Amino acid sequence: MLWTLRKIIEGAIDRLTEQLMTYLPPLLAAVVILAGAWITALLVRWIFQRIFKGIELDRWLRRTGISTMIDPTGRLKGARLVGQIVYWSILAVGFLTALNAFNTQLTSRMVERAVLLLPKAAGAVVIVLAGMWLAQYLGRGALVWAVNEEIPSPRRVAAGIRCLIMFAAVVVASDYLQFAEHVFLAAFILVVGAGALAGGLALGFCARDALTRYLAGQQSRAGQGAERSLWTHL
Amino acid sequence: MSRADIVVGIAGFQDAAAISRAVCVVDAGLAKYFPQYTAVIVNPAAGTHLLAVSHPPSGSAIRVIFQAAGRLRARACAVVDAGLGSLTPEWVDLLVRPVLHAGFDFVAPHYHRHKFDGAITNSIVYPLTRALYGYRVRPPTGGDFGISNHLLARCLERNDWESGAARYGSGVWITTIAVSEGFRICQSCLGAGWHAAIGSGAGLAAVLKHLAGTVFSLMEEYEPVWRRRNGSRDVDLFGRPLDLSIDPIEAGVEGMLRLFRNACTGLREIWALAMQPGVCREVLALASRASPEHFRLSDELWVRIIYDFACAHKNRSLDRGHLLGSLAPLYLARAASFMLETETLYSAGVEERIERLCRVYEELKPYLVANWTGTPIRPAVPSPVAARAPTSGDVSHAVDTA
Repeated sequence: MLWTLRKIIEGAIDRLTEQLMTYLPPLLAAVVILAGAWITALLVRWIFQRIFKGIELDRWLRRTGISTMIDPTGRLKGARLVGQIVYWSILAVGFLTALNAFNTQLTSRMVERAVLLLPKAAGAVVIVLAGMWLAQYLGRGALVWAVNEEIPSPRRVAAGIRCLIMFAAVVVASDYLQFAEHVFLAAFILVVGAGALAGGLALGFCARDALTRYLAGQQSRAGQGAERSLWTHL
Repeated sequence: MSRADIVVGIAGFQDAAAISRAVCVVDAGLAKYFPQYTAVIVNPAAGTHLLAVSHPPSGSAIRVIFQAAGRLRARACAVVDAGLGSLTPEWVDLLVRPVLHAGFDFVAPHYHRHKFDGAITNSIVYPLTRALYGYRVRPPTGGDFGISNHLLARCLERNDWESGAARYGSGVWITTIAVSEGFRICQSCLGAGWHAAIGSGAGLAAVLKHLAGTVFSLMEEYEPVWRRRNGSRDVDLFGRPLDLSIDPIEAGVEGMLRLFRNACTGLREIWALAMQPGVCREVLALASRASPEHFRLSDELWVRIIYDFACAHKNRSLDRGHLLGSLAPLYLARAASFMLETETLYSAGVEERIERLCRVYEELKPYLVANWTGTPIRPAVPSPVAARAPTSGDVSHAVDTA
């Protein structure tokens, strides 16, 4: 009885030791790699922040609208952005290297997939960022126009435009990644189609009178001497 | 014809009847005041009148007139806006004579206008240009002016003809070049200057975009000039200011304030990018503070708004079209406030109010410089020009206080 118990315990300890001997060294190696990657990332980020400290990059970011797209307050620093990109890129490479240290089928497959997916993921990120920029630009333009033209609910108009463009960007990105592209495309077509249909029906049944009143109001306002004199004597 | 002493251009894209009338008036003016000189009338809107000049692909009417004047080696050139219904033969004399006989390089128009007329000019372009460059040229936006061959050649050398300045900002564009680059400048009293229309389909935002955008853009180019100048002085005035009866202007103040209040909700994020936080807070607070009758947007707040927008335009805090478009509701709020405040005042009282606003622009220039350069504000040192009383007839250059 005792012998059997001892045998079981010894077996468990042996298996544990074996597993520890199998996984501990790669785990330690992974931790060392991660730590190394982290220190390298910190160092490289510091160097890049000093290299890109000039105002030219900030000016370019402001001109292109990337600055306000990432940081709505518009106070984004280019050097900080570059530093963060480099920092996270090095950490990602470090993570993949650390994962590879285990040298198992699963981890190898994960690393392989990640490496294969990386260029596509970068492309998709670029597409989404471009969509964000376009959405913000057109949304703002629509907002300013709608406010100045006294269109009802200007913020909703702008938000609608932003959402539509972002949705289109996600559809393009999913198609590029070949990730559920049919689902996204179908959803996009459904949304746009439903929007067009709803708009048409609303215009036909309900909003026609409202639109007529609005346009008549605009015309009469344009025809009023007081308003006209304001706009023509500036 | 290979040479001419005087070239008069008819600018402004109007209908054939307006242009025909303008040509007749100018012709009468040339015949009456300058019969001994060779003169040419250029009408770029319909090719040219009396002279064959090819149109540039997308150039402005002014450019065509200048090119014609340059080609004809004209000693003086004048441009009149066909859209002005108040054009008379005397205008030709008033715009050409200072150039031809007094050696001035630029003759800016001086109109007699209703107290509410020219609100963009009176609240933004004139005080800002005056505070920046030190010359009291009002309005600096006039489409009628006289110009010497030296300044004309300088303008033709420039490569920014295709910019927004070409359409609405041509007046302020040329005025700024003249006052910044040391050309001799004066004004002529042209009497009433009422416009037939501001332009086909031009909205307020578009007009503001071109006018304010032109001033803001030129601020970048002439930064070394305006940062050295303090205070302002009058320029020589030709002709007599006339006390004419002018059609009254009524404005829908309630509509203007309604648009402003709606904009306070809609555009607050955009304004937050354009203005300093304190200024933005004050603007947003205005929306809920007072009833329409007691609505006031103070001079100081208005000047800070404009200076903040100028800095945002330079820093490209956001797209320039969006930035200037978002200025329109603020401008309307200021115009409404000004109209409410000066409702009961006569022209002299309104002039005093405009003068007060101009002084605030000049006093707050250190605020502009500080925001423009990103340096903290230092206490302003009173300059000799600012301390001096305005002297009519003094046209020497504004003092540079480096």
